[in-house]
Amino acid sequence: MDRAIVRHIIRMVPSLLLFLLLGLPLVLLLLQWLSGEDKSALLSSISRETLVLVGKSLLISGIVALLATFTGTVCGFILYKLRFAFIGIYKVALLLPLLISPYIFAVAWKDGFFWLFGNNAAIYSDAGVILVHTIVFFPLAMLITGSALSQVDAGYEEAGLMLMPFRKMVVKIVLPLIRPALTISFLLILIFSLSDFSVPAFFGVRTFTTEIFTQFSALYNFPLAIGQSVLLLFICLLLMLAEARYLSDAPFFSVSVKGGVSKKYNIQKRQALFHALLWLLLIMVLLMPVFMLGIQSLSGRTLFFREAWILMRPAALQSVKLALSGTLLLTSVGLWTAYAKDRMGNRLPNVLLLLTFIVPSTVLGIALIRYYNLSAMNFIYGTTAILLLAYLGKFGFIASRIIGNGIRQIPVSLEESALVMGIPSWKIFVKINLPLLVPSLFAAFVLSFILSLGELGVTMLVYPPGMELMPVKTFTISANAPEALTSSMTLINLGVTIALIALFFVAGKWLFKRYQYA
Amino acid sequence: MRHLFNSIILFMLMLTACSPPSNEVTVYCTVDQVFSEPVLKDFERETGIKVKAVYDTEETKSTGVMNRLIAERDNPRCDVFWSGDPVRNGVLQSRGITEPYQSEQTRLIPTQFKEKDNHWIGFSARARVLIYNKTLISPDSLPRSVLDFTKPRFKGQFAIANPLFGTTTFHMAALFVKLGDEKAKQWMNDLKANGVVIAASNGDVKKRVMNGELAFGLTDTDDAFEAKKESDKVDYIFLDQQENGIGTLIMPNALSLIKGSPQNENGKKLINYLLTRETETKLAKSCAQMPLIKGTEVPQNVPSLDNIQPMKIDYKETSDKLEAIQSWLKAWTEQ
Repeated sequence: MDRAIVRHIIRMVPSLLLFLLLGLPLVLLLLQWLSGEDKSALLSSISRETLVLVGKSLLISGIVALLATFTGTVCGFILYKLRFAFIGIYKVALLLPLLISPYIFAVAWKDGFFWLFGNNAAIYSDAGVILVHTIVFFPLAMLITGSALSQVDAGYEEAGLMLMPFRKMVVKIVLPLIRPALTISFLLILIFSLSDFSVPAFFGVRTFTTEIFTQFSALYNFPLAIGQSVLLLFICLLLMLAEARYLSDAPFFSVSVKGGVSKKYNIQKRQALFHALLWLLLIMVLLMPVFMLGIQSLSGRTLFFREAWILMRPAALQSVKLALSGTLLLTSVGLWTAYAKDRMGNRLPNVLLLLTFIVPSTVLGIALIRYYNLSAMNFIYGTTAILLLAYLGKFGFIASRIIGNGIRQIPVSLEESALVMGIPSWKIFVKINLPLLVPSLFAAFVLSFILSLGELGVTMLVYPPGMELMPVKTFTISANAPEALTSSMTLINLGVTIALIALFFVAGKWLFKRYQYA
Repeated sequence: MRHLFNSIILFMLMLTACSPPSNEVTVYCTVDQVFSEPVLKDFERETGIKVKAVYDTEETKSTGVMNRLIAERDNPRCDVFWSGDPVRNGVLQSRGITEPYQSEQTRLIPTQFKEKDNHWIGFSARARVLIYNKTLISPDSLPRSVLDFTKPRFKGQFAIANPLFGTTTFHMAALFVKLGDEKAKQWMNDLKANGVVIAASNGDVKKRVMNGELAFGLTDTDDAFEAKKESDKVDYIFLDQQENGIGTLIMPNALSLIKGSPQNENGKKLINYLLTRETETKLAKSCAQMPLIKGTEVPQNVPSLDNIQPMKIDYKETSDKLEAIQSWLKAWTEQ
């Protein structure tokens, strides 16, 4: 057989495997829906009322995405481009809102409003949803734009500074250079906000996702719920494809460079201002909810921390092990799919991860159950493998995009020079690409860990019976347990995650030093 | 290469040939974990049968377990479904997911608290109660009937949980059966006009009343019992206890055996274990659930069904009514 054909087959096998593992369950669910008895569901999922609701949801999520991307970019700039004291602590602290479930945030803010103003009616509104979602999702923008900012070549900035003042240089050079990161932040947050039902449901705000959820859980109308999910999927897909068409593949990337050290600015005079700004943000996004949780955990007639720890200990260990396995899988698959897309022109794995990312959690969960719930598949469905697949489906795309951003900034000329010198491709990948990708791999690793550790939507549907996981346990216990106990459990959950993230950052620092990124 | 291929095949066969160990039982449970887990642990200890449980959450409104059971219909993983009310079991029965089960233990349960073919069997019941904050409203001023909620003096002071989910759905369906559609719809519209707050869940109703955000609300006895343990400011009363009143809704826990389940026999053992006086006593102590088996020992602070005027309903009729009014309830909630 021709060597080229063999190579092509070898290249296609992993893509095919990914399709069989994640894509086929969704395709089969879609086919079941299309061939279902209830044909009316096909039409009723696209009514005028539905479209109005879609518009309203897009508006709310669009505002969230704008606010969160703006806040995240400002924070990203301050933390990744400026040089002042305690920057590492701020970086970790401002990531923490990602660790707290949006639902917990909603409860904390509602209680906080009542505690502060004696009335919390104002938060039961679209504004309440926007506030909580912005707080929860802005760290995502901070991480993505921060990662992009730290990869902007110093040469561009220095050249710009010779011709124009600092502010103008930021607007005219730095921001356009990180435009892909800004766009992907905006779209990811839009999709996250669009697909969260817990916050709008808690605040009594009707969105398209709460509608899908109601069809699933109150009316058990699977055909209509799946139909509406397909509509949501279609909208998200259009947004993401527009991004892929107009930005990711723009010629802008082929000239971007990698290898130059990013420029950092000293701010001697205005240190106090930046500290004040970051503290204000920290109070709003972290300290206030944690303070409310602290008050609630101490408000019981007895202290519950010991009881909470006994309840959480087995779940914490299990969750951390699983999240670590998931993170390794996500980062590896993310690296492969990003590399396949950006360097080998194989878009299929990336598109697959995009599809599974956009699908609402309940639909993904049901698709996985229907596909894997066979005796022959027990080694997947009855074990943690099903959870790893769920994590891959939910967050593989994010890991892939973060790493992809890094890959696109490595000049092709570096690889071409090595090829000309006769160095084999695998060696180029290991010796040139991988070391240059360390910051992106690290960002993908940390984010994947955080997201995997807190995932609840699909986990609730597929976790093996008898298994104890931290987010599941916190929520299942929270129904009717004393508030002091559930708040104590949430704080322990948060503490465990913070300790691990801190550990990662210490390891990351060592790694960056080794590859001269520090 | 051939050895490697053979090893992989052998490994796959070993994995697929593994049937679930016979000494375990899988239970899907929508009853609050904080109350159900200790009972299941006791079963495990006493019988040596390992219990693998899947619990559900307040946040997901029991979607996890229900959607999972429906999606797993063709290859069930669950042996026993333990629900906090019989409505969900009714939904599963209508989809052919449950199977009838009868034993010595099921016969102890009064006829009105089990499905006629034993697709579900009730035990330890909760009731719908009015929880109130003593600092905001005096016991004398409280409404005595759910129908009083529409009086102008209570405007904007009370909450009910979202009627599309949980026991509130069941309560609304029961009221529709009891009052008739027209009167029930009018009552619900009047509630809206009187500023009812629609809370996310019964737990949210409890919390808002405890915090003093609202004067009173409708919830279940276990929530009210927990609230009383947590705060001196709250208390609860049973509504509609007048001589000709409509009575208080009683909601038993409901157990169903899943059709074609992998550990059917162990499932039956678990059901029999749960349908005992000992289990009912445990649930009475932990969350004030009222025993259905005559002669069960209960603590003093737990109400007895003998002292409550129950709402006389047919659970099957209520389940059917629920399916019929869901769309109306959805529109009412979204108004």
